[in-house]
Amino acid sequence: MLTELLQGTDAGGFLLIQDSACLSGRHLLRSFINAALNREEAVHVLGFEVGEEELKDGLKGSPIQRLHFHNAYTDPLGWTDNPTFTVHQFCLEELTRLVKQTSHPKPATLVIDSLSWILRHHSPPAVCKTLQQLRKGGAVRAIIALLHADMHQRGTVGSVCQLATSVVTVAPGMKGDEAVAKITKRSKSGKVMQDEEIFSIKEDLTVAVQSRPSHLGPKQTDPEEQETDPTANLTFNLRLSDTEREAKEKLSLPFVFSKEKKTALLHSGPGSGRILYEPDANDDYDQEDPDDDLDV
Amino acid sequence: MFTELNSILNSTPDSFTQGEFILVSDRRSDASFLIHHFLSLYLRARCRVWFLGLVQSFNHYSAVSQRLGVSLAQAKEKGQLVFLEGLKESLSVLIPQETNTGSQAMDFLRDPAVGLKSLYEFVRSSVSSSSGRDEGADGAEEWGPPVLLVDDLSVLLSLGVSVGAVLDFSHYCRATVCSQLQGNVVMLARCDGEEEEDDEDDEGSERLLKGLTHQCSLTLHVQGLPTGYCRDIHGQVEVCWRRRQGDGQHAQKKVFQYKVHDKGASFFARGTSSAVL
Repeated sequence: MLTELLQGTDAGGFLLIQDSACLSGRHLLRSFINAALNREEAVHVLGFEVGEEELKDGLKGSPIQRLHFHNAYTDPLGWTDNPTFTVHQFCLEELTRLVKQTSHPKPATLVIDSLSWILRHHSPPAVCKTLQQLRKGGAVRAIIALLHADMHQRGTVGSVCQLATSVVTVAPGMKGDEAVAKITKRSKSGKVMQDEEIFSIKEDLTVAVQSRPSHLGPKQTDPEEQETDPTANLTFNLRLSDTEREAKEKLSLPFVFSKEKKTALLHSGPGSGRILYEPDANDDYDQEDPDDDLDV
Repeated sequence: MFTELNSILNSTPDSFTQGEFILVSDRRSDASFLIHHFLSLYLRARCRVWFLGLVQSFNHYSAVSQRLGVSLAQAKEKGQLVFLEGLKESLSVLIPQETNTGSQAMDFLRDPAVGLKSLYEFVRSSVSSSSGRDEGADGAEEWGPPVLLVDDLSVLLSLGVSVGAVLDFSHYCRATVCSQLQGNVVMLARCDGEEEEDDEDDEGSERLLKGLTHQCSLTLHVQGLPTGYCRDIHGQVEVCWRRRQGDGQHAQKKVFQYKVHDKGASFFARGTSSAVL
């Protein structure tokens, strides 16, 4: 389902990428931007959280011309004298004006990085209202937004998710390179589809979807992580040379019985002491070997 | 500065990553020893350092830095270190006198609801005025990139500033110092409670920590040992590199244990403390 979403949202669609402090969803956001640019769409980015260079890092090639970055990173609150775009300008009229500034035949895709910034400064109902107006307005074709789910109350996150046509929640995966995406998609007919996929993002920002995650298995340790050698930096030697290792392997342990050992112990060899037993009249001399039933 | 931590973070006074926002945090522990490390590291790297010392006096940092081999008084005299002594400045706000010509940095104490714009203005004006001066001066010393250290952010919450205002302040610091001037920012944030999955955000410091984690590029999280108190191992540090150039989405995490002693701190992989082996 992730691949379908990357291929394009329907008009009026609102895709929400949710992330947490454990894993940033910005890289997946870059993949979506890349996919939209490759489809020859104009992309307008409201950048609150990262600067232009950092967001464009990884986006290479000619489609960059269709990417319009609106700098809300340097001065989002208007603390200096000439802010480029402030968070207070997040309303239908301003955004429509902003998007219409660039002349492009197709309606643009609006990318918001991130919605959490806006939710810190506007009330959730106001933000939802603006988003809904944008969707119906026609100035933008689709909206893709990044939300840090662990920075808001569950109710706020829930309200924004209700508004979205698709929600992708990213979480760290088992192996180092992979992440798990939980996807919820609402189609126009009202049908809701849910899916969970493991994906990784390649260097050219294309997404490779692996199989469905299995819920078994413990978390694998990162194979690249080098364990520090505890036998280093000691005042005594804990390592074995090859001959020592061979001798160690050859050693037979004292209480593990092999047939030779048993016979050697039970039947005394030449030169060792012998026990001469002469039973009395009172002794109950049993000729059987009392150790016969030992399972050794 | 602690040499073992330098090798862990791959930074030396001669070469360190620029434009980094480093978050030092702790949970029921004390991570301020890491602030002393970064202070002495950047002073030795000949960077200009702006230190917002909100919780301790200048003499405290000076005494500790002396043990690490750096003289704060000298650095202040040379103009390498700009120290905002929060405790002293706050007195001038709370007990106003005519002779006071202090900066307006601590003005938020008068009305915490206003936010930290004045504190940011203090940082911005002082940082940009010096970078302007450096370019034209002859015979002036060549300093490295600017560095902002804040100790600590959580005390601002106790003074009545909202979490949103503190996050706005740290955002602006990052935009000015890291992105515009290619300098570094190190901020300390402290947490008292256990990590909860609770959504009811009565605990502002949790939300502050999460917000700062999203903004930063490197976190060092200090905690006590999960098994309890140990005389020879003072706790563990979790280092998390969040943003790596071109390396994709994944944060790389490493956990170390540490012991603080008189002239520094030693860091080692878990279970390899010299006292244990």
